[in-house]
This record gives sequence, C-alpha cells and structure tokens, in this order.
Amino acid sequence: MLASVLAKTLRDQGRSLLAWSLSLVLLVAMYAAVWPTVRDQPSMGDFIDQMPEAFRSMFATSGADMSTPTGYIQIELLSFMGPIAVLLYAIGAGAGAIGGEEDRHTMDLLLSNPVGRGRVVLDKFLAMALGTFLLTAVMGVSLVLEGKLVDLELPPDKVAATMLHLALLGVVFGALALALSAGTGKTGVSRGVPASLAVFAYIVNALAPLVEAFDRVQKVSPFFQYIAHDPLRQGVAWDGVAVSVTTVVVLVALAVVGFRRRDVAA
Amino acid sequence: MCAEALVRLDGLSKRFGKSTALDGVSLTIEAGEVFGYLGPNGAGKTTTIRLIMGMLRPTSGTAKVLGLDTWRQSVQVHRLVGYVPGEPALYDRLTGHQHVAYCSHLRHRDDAKRAAQLADRLGLDLKRPARTLSRGNRQKLAVILAVMSRPRLLVLDEPTSGIDPLVQQVFHAILLEHTADGGSALFSSHVLGEVERVADRIGVVRRGKLVAVERLQDLAARSLHQVRARFAEDVAAADFAGIPGLRDVLVDGRSFSCSAPQSALDALLKRVSARQVDDFECAEAPLEDTFLSYYGIDRNGGADAVVPAGAGGRDAG
Repeated sequence: MLASVLAKTLRDQGRSLLAWSLSLVLLVAMYAAVWPTVRDQPSMGDFIDQMPEAFRSMFATSGADMSTPTGYIQIELLSFMGPIAVLLYAIGAGAGAIGGEEDRHTMDLLLSNPVGRGRVVLDKFLAMALGTFLLTAVMGVSLVLEGKLVDLELPPDKVAATMLHLALLGVVFGALALALSAGTGKTGVSRGVPASLAVFAYIVNALAPLVEAFDRVQKVSPFFQYIAHDPLRQGVAWDGVAVSVTTVVVLVALAVVGFRRRDVAA
Repeated sequence: MCAEALVRLDGLSKRFGKSTALDGVSLTIEAGEVFGYLGPNGAGKTTTIRLIMGMLRPTSGTAKVLGLDTWRQSVQVHRLVGYVPGEPALYDRLTGHQHVAYCSHLRHRDDAKRAAQLADRLGLDLKRPARTLSRGNRQKLAVILAVMSRPRLLVLDEPTSGIDPLVQQVFHAILLEHTADGGSALFSSHVLGEVERVADRIGVVRRGKLVAVERLQDLAARSLHQVRARFAEDVAAADFAGIPGLRDVLVDGRSFSCSAPQSALDALLKRVSARQVDDFECAEAPLEDTFLSYYGIDRNGGADAVVPAGAGGRDAG
C-alpha cells in the first residue's frame, strides 16, 4: 500500500473516497426514488416550460423532457448535483495534492527521498484522476442498477459515455487546482480559483443561448465539452474528449514546471 | 572540483523577497567529518540546510554534494543523503513501521531490519501511529528514517532537540558509527554543548554570514582555565606580570585569581610554586564560555545571541 507516492496518496484518500462513493450511491437512490412520482405528473413538463428562459437554460439542458428517464436524469442529476459533487472532490484533491503536504510540513520528508518533483506531481495527479473516475463509475453503476429497480431505464453505454465526460470535467478543474497548488503551494487559492472558474464556466455554457458575449466563448467552457452534445442520448463526443485531455495535459505540464521552479515551504 | 569534499558550498546566498537569509556562505565538509553548524535562531542555519537538501533554490552560488548540484541534481543527491528536518513532520496516520516501509520503497531499498535495530537502541515503538508520539519520539523516528539507508551524508537540523540526554548519547554513538564507516554529517544547533562531543569542526553563522570556521581541537586549545591560589603571605600583581595570555588578574592580599590559556599554564605554575601555597585550584572553563567570549557573543543577549541549552525558540531562518 505504500509502494509509491501514488499508492500512498490513494491510501490517504481511501476513507474519503469511500464516504464520497456512499454519498453518491445515496444521492442517485434519492433521484431514483422520486422518479415514479415525477413520471406520473405530466404537469412537471409544463412547469419547466413555464420557467423563465434563463432559468430553463440553467437547470434544464437542451429542452430535455422530464417525463422520459434520460430527460429526468439529465435535468435533475447531470445538470447540477452530479457536476457539483465531482468537482468538489476533484478540486479538493488537486488543491491538497502539493500544498496540502506543505501545509502539514511533510513535503520535506517526502522530497528528501530520491523522488523527483515531477514524479510527485504526476503521482498526485494520477491519484486525483483515478479518484474522479472511480466516483463517476460509482455514479454510473448506481444510475443503471438503481434505475432498474424503479423502471428508470437508462442505456448503460450512454451512461458510461456521460460519466466519461463528467469525469473529464472533474479532472480538468482538478488539474487546474493541482497546477495552482504546485505553482504556489497555497491550498486556499488552489481551491478557490478553480471553484469560481467552474461556476463561471457553468454559467457561460448555460446562458450562451441568451447572452451574446457568452455564446462566442461557450465552446471554451469545459461544461460545453461535458454536456452540450447531450451525451446521455448521443454518447461520446470524441472532439470534446480530445479538448479536455489536451487541457489536462497542458495543466499537468504547467504543474510540473511550476513545482520544479519554486522553493518548498518548510 | 575537489574529489574528496563531500559537501562544497560556494558563495551560497538566499534572499526571500527583500530579506537576505544567507549571504555568500562557502565551506566544505570532508568524508568522515562531522561539521557542527552553530548560530542563533534565525541566523540562517535552516536556510543553509534546506538549500543543501534542494528544497530551496539558491539566489546565487552553488551547493554541491560529491560534485552534484543540490538544486539541479537533487534526486541523485538525495540517494546519498539522510535528512532530519528542523521540525520533523510525519504522516499522522502512518505508524513507524509504515514510515519505514514508505521511505524504503521510495529509496528502492529494504531497510526494515536496520530500522528495527535502530528503534530498539533508541527505545522507540515502531508500531504506534505518528500522531500518538511525543515530540522526542517523533524526533527519534525522523532520525531512524534518515540513518537507516546508510547514507554517505547526514544533514541534521537540530536533531537532538527534544530528546532526553540518555537517548542523546545513543544518538551520538550512532553518529560516531556513521563517521567510522566514512560517513559525514552536518549537524546544526544553537548550542555548542550539543555538538562539541561529536563535531570535528564547527562553523558559526550570524545574520546569514559564516563568521568563523574552527577545528574544535583548536578552540579547546584556546580554552581558558580558571586559576585560583591562596598564599601563605601577601602577593602583588607585579609578581605575575609578563606571562602572555593571562587575563582578569585579580590580587587581593594573599588571594590570587586569573583566567589563563593552556599555553600560559606552565609559566604561571612556576611563578606560583616559587611561593608558599596554602590552596590551589585550576579548572577548565566550559567550551561554551570560551566560544562565547571568543566570538564576542553576549550569552544573555537577545535574538543575536547563541543561547544556552534549553532556552530559546526554533530557528525560523
């Protein structure tokens, strides 16, 4: 369990990942439990149609229909709670990766071993990315299995595609948090900046149809790569995956460079 | 490059913003040598050590271990070095055994056996999680982690602070075994007493500058002896005039006292024994006092002083 920085970091996150996983299983169970009620109330669709357009853009993606399983999950889980949960984990793990060890003063102990700083950054990144993929996998499996119990039938392949995009959304912001953590060593900044940017990116993508300025930059938003193509119906958008992966690679490279150049806090 | 120098600092400087923590320090440490690095709190000891460990990037100058640059080739350097940080932080949730396992893996070695022996000698229970350990026991674990891989160089930032005297002796024994095998050590302290038993040379750093490097033997040779004598009849100060190195001569009736370096003892004794002596006393002053008076450091002084054992806070520099 302590064979590398990666293994050690995953071990440290063990309890936290378990707690996150259980929460996600329960969160999905809650949505599944409410499903029969929502399905049998067609007025819900009317309610959404009557919402102001800005609201509808924020909470309901691309005219989804609440009375179908995919529409319901898309509006209720994928537009809001799902990304929030995944982003909270990924940004927390990324920000704590380097700055966290410095805050606890253990970085001197770690780096006094023959381990390069680049290796440390990469292992911390891999731990964060694996954790994020684990959480989205838990969410996806819960959706398919718990959905079956209440006739909330979702196509497993499309769920998997959606979770891939959701994981990449998390890893992009997690990598940003990691880059800030590696470059500055300041955990607070590394958490705050990506969190604010995530909210901003969310609003840009959601309100792009209404706000002209947002429309022009919408495609830059990681939320656009995540949900704009409607992954629960369309599956994987490989161009979106490519954009996300490229962003992550650049951010991790910046993290390595940033950490190699600076003093480590005592 | 001089092949045998284990550590070579060359004009090493470090600035943090506008403040200069270290200013042009040059020194070498040879194989098999223990170098005592002394200075008041905040003088730059920890900065020097963290530069050697590649945690800090030098503003100018270089630090090398066996010719390897400590900033650019830090991974190679760390293979040769064991390090006890000034404020040893450990992983709270890991036990001693788990710390040993983690560091062994990172070093691609298996040092569990040696770690267990060291823990036995130092009296540390490796089964306990680090968060339950006292300050002294955390220090012991940090020492074990630094020593277990048999590094060529030990870099120790106040390693014995918080360790009780009996365990300090064990630690000194471990350090002597390390040097007997050809290993070297840089040992920082704000108290001379802590390093005088083990150091071959000492360096004194004040306000970021290395103000003196001295063989401990030479310092001892200059150490002053407190000499007191009482004679059967009155003596005069003039009776003891002309002896080189004599200080603080005090004559009061039949009593005489002075401070004398080793070199003056022979001449002094001959003058004393020329008279009838009632009582005679000669005691070597603690090295600490010699050291303090030699470098003009006020023993009770504030932030600028080398403080006696047990007093003062930690080196923030």
